[in-house]
Amino acid sequence: MPLFGKKPASKTTTVFFATDVHGSERTFRKFINAGKFYNAQVLVMGGDIIGKMAVPIIQEGPGHYRATLQGRTERFEGEEALQALRERIGTLGFYSQVLEEGEFHELAADPSRVEAMFHDLARERLESWLDLAETRLAGTGIKCYVTGGNDDYPDVLQALHRPNAEALVACEGKLIEIDGEHTMISMGFSGPTPWKTPREIPDEELGLKIEEMIAQVADPSRCVFNFHDPPVDSTLDTCPLLDWSTDPPTQIVKAGQVVLHGAGSKSVRKAIETHQPVLGLHGHIHESPGATRIGRSLCVNPGSEYGEGVLRGVLLNLAGGKVESYQLTSG
Amino acid sequence: MATAAATPEVFTRKASGLVRVMSPYSAFIYNILTMGLIFPWTYLWAPGALPGGKLVWGILLATVFEIPIAFAYVWLSTALPRSGGDYVFQSRAFGGFWGYTLLMSGFVIWILQWVALSGWLLSYLGFAPLFLGLGATTGNAALSEIGVWFTSANGIIITSIVNAFLSMLLLVSGFKNYVKVQYVMFYGILVAFATTLIVLFTTPQAEFVTRLNEFAVRSGGVQNFYQAARDAVVGAGIDLNPPFSMLATLLVAPIAWTSLQWATYSAEQNGEIKEARSFKNQVFILVGSLIVTGILLALLAMAFERAGGTEFVYIAGAGYWSLIPEASISGFNLWPNILAVALTASPLVVLLIAFGYILNSFQIVNNCYIGVTRIMVAMSLDRLLPEWVSKVHERLHTPVNAHLVYFLASIPVIWAYNKVGGWIGLTLGVTFACGYVFAATSLAGAVLPFRAKEVYDASPGASYKVNGLAGLVLMLIGAAAFVWTTWEFAAVFAATPILLWLVRLLGLAAAAGVFYMFRGQLGGWVRGAAMPWVTALGTAGAGVGFAMVVAFLLAPQLGVLGNWDFSNLPSSLWSQIIAFGILILSAVWYFAAKAAQKRRGINVDYAFKEIPPE
Repeated sequence: MPLFGKKPASKTTTVFFATDVHGSERTFRKFINAGKFYNAQVLVMGGDIIGKMAVPIIQEGPGHYRATLQGRTERFEGEEALQALRERIGTLGFYSQVLEEGEFHELAADPSRVEAMFHDLARERLESWLDLAETRLAGTGIKCYVTGGNDDYPDVLQALHRPNAEALVACEGKLIEIDGEHTMISMGFSGPTPWKTPREIPDEELGLKIEEMIAQVADPSRCVFNFHDPPVDSTLDTCPLLDWSTDPPTQIVKAGQVVLHGAGSKSVRKAIETHQPVLGLHGHIHESPGATRIGRSLCVNPGSEYGEGVLRGVLLNLAGGKVESYQLTSG
Repeated sequence: MATAAATPEVFTRKASGLVRVMSPYSAFIYNILTMGLIFPWTYLWAPGALPGGKLVWGILLATVFEIPIAFAYVWLSTALPRSGGDYVFQSRAFGGFWGYTLLMSGFVIWILQWVALSGWLLSYLGFAPLFLGLGATTGNAALSEIGVWFTSANGIIITSIVNAFLSMLLLVSGFKNYVKVQYVMFYGILVAFATTLIVLFTTPQAEFVTRLNEFAVRSGGVQNFYQAARDAVVGAGIDLNPPFSMLATLLVAPIAWTSLQWATYSAEQNGEIKEARSFKNQVFILVGSLIVTGILLALLAMAFERAGGTEFVYIAGAGYWSLIPEASISGFNLWPNILAVALTASPLVVLLIAFGYILNSFQIVNNCYIGVTRIMVAMSLDRLLPEWVSKVHERLHTPVNAHLVYFLASIPVIWAYNKVGGWIGLTLGVTFACGYVFAATSLAGAVLPFRAKEVYDASPGASYKVNGLAGLVLMLIGAAAFVWTTWEFAAVFAATPILLWLVRLLGLAAAAGVFYMFRGQLGGWVRGAAMPWVTALGTAGAGVGFAMVVAFLLAPQLGVLGNWDFSNLPSSLWSQIIAFGILILSAVWYFAAKAAQKRRGINVDYAFKEIPPE
């Protein structure tokens, strides 16, 4: 056998998978362009598409602004500088809102209004992404499948279900025909996390949802399991063990050291072990990128560096119910 | 339901987050340990090979030279806080070929020599002085014999393999286990270092010769050792009071760089460092550790010179560099720790010093494994090394295969290090090879704002700018250091005028090539337009870094790579053939792996290319 593996079959479908872009404008734009760039016929986004932070840009006077970004308060003037800052904030995956000093203080004093603002900003950005995807992918033949993740607001995710969408498909809960040979099912919920995120459920319930979907699949061995939560103890889920009783959660330290553990889902692992899909696509744990095999199933987690504007992903060549080759990318 | 909260002028919502294992303080300690407070070369090599050079000034110069390089790493680490550091930085800035070739040759292959070195240090500077010192202070001949066994080739080979094996087991068992041990090593080493300093600073100069002579006798050496050593060294024509030499002082810096160039090694673990994106943290980790270590090494040099005087330093240096046996005790060169052991009559002090040096030797092999295995994993994920290299163990969460491969690869190198004549002379080739990696990364930092604009713009360092003219001055200082070194040492190296001018013109062309990369910006900078600080510091750092690399390649005072003897090819140039052969082998491997992956439908370039967002 050659050192780097064997030659692929002649007919392949190239899939590009990325996940956890968390609102990053630049990263999502790269994702949409990835099909043409990598010659992939199928794009899959594995969830957690909504940003985590909103940066108020406070107008101190006509054309004069200040904003706190990455721990530093910056002051600037002029519309050009304002636009550059908003782009920078978007690259980091944050939302921005220009506010008067008084407006900012009123908003900061009312958590429910802040919450509503997040929903509005997230929906607005997601809508703009859908427009972008339809425009850029039109006529290319590239299909783009998107699911939500545990961090995404359910009401915002509704925006994915556009009746007349052609290129971008909201794939969660659906059985998708990727090509003539392979199918895909998607699950964006995760098991419980210490952050109490919008779409997490008990692991047993997650297992039942997964089994319901698998029941629709004729041949699991030719099916891709696009499950946001990685299988437990798979090396795709390694992260520090956290104390759930503190807010925010804190790392558990024993003998002066942070304790690492597998934070993935038992149910996801069980489904993969039992049904042996051709491929498992996972995300959720940004700091644990890699690829591993559970039985015959290749499972991948590309990790995420959305904050740097870097699109981490995996290119996969599927043929005849097998993953012929794969490659982690950092684009 | 998710809730949202306002922190000062920022709104956040509850969402899952990324957490990292290594604290900035641990990374700071890690770098200090990697710089190897015990590396002994500077103290004997410099006076032996560079008469008239000022040891302390040379160490401080190396620290100053390294500062811009360390700052370039600060910008790179905050922009790309990922494991695999140098490999990630270079492949992002220059493309996969350069990233792979330089890192594979300079780190992965050459650091195998460092694995062998750490075993040698453990055996020769850790266990041997421990038993020799205990034997001498207690009058127990059996202990002295054990000490001598640790200086034998077989003793060193066995110690080295056990050292590497234990390190592999520790690291495979989990990174957290290593970090626990790291604290023990750090404080043990600090105690040993402080003890060495105290002994060297407090030993009355009037008693120095007497105590050294007594130790020599107890260790099986001659009576009146100091006078015998002095006579032998003077008899060999060595000047014990040479006049000050600026050139020699400058050349001490590359030797001291053997330690100080490792100030940035924590960058390989950026993916595991908490708040690695914080500019302040990275300055503390990278620049802070460099300055602290530079000062400590300079203090040790001061203490070493104070204890026995300048004359003694040259005697000890001659024992090492000119291989004068009378200037060593029972085969031991008079390294600072050996000297401290010799000057004390206390077994406790011997134990403290030896224990610290044993710990630092063990630390070095751990550093070899930690950094290199992460680079190997990154290369494997990029499909340039076989897939199984990046396999992570499900329970231990560590790249077991990468560790095992590296351990097995180190065994023949350990054997050769101790059995093949002249191989040990390649040790400082690691400084040359790792030097070109560090200098190239500094240059990667310089071009980061232009080659990876989006990544740079999103980083916290993007807001730091310098006036273009001032920045150009810094860049020119770096270029001048490089061109001057090439110009000066070409004359030493070149046997014919053609070769001389070829080397000089190559040096000029390389410097011009760097400025050519910035051709689009030069006009603006000349007019005072803002320049990214990282461009100014990165170019300056690359200039002085490559100047030191060139010095290693052309100056015979800096070891085997600088000795160009064309009289009996190829054997007279074997070390240079090995150095460039490793580079060529790495380049060939890159193209072979790329071609193999292409047959599987994988384009390796995709691992490095950035997708245009628009």
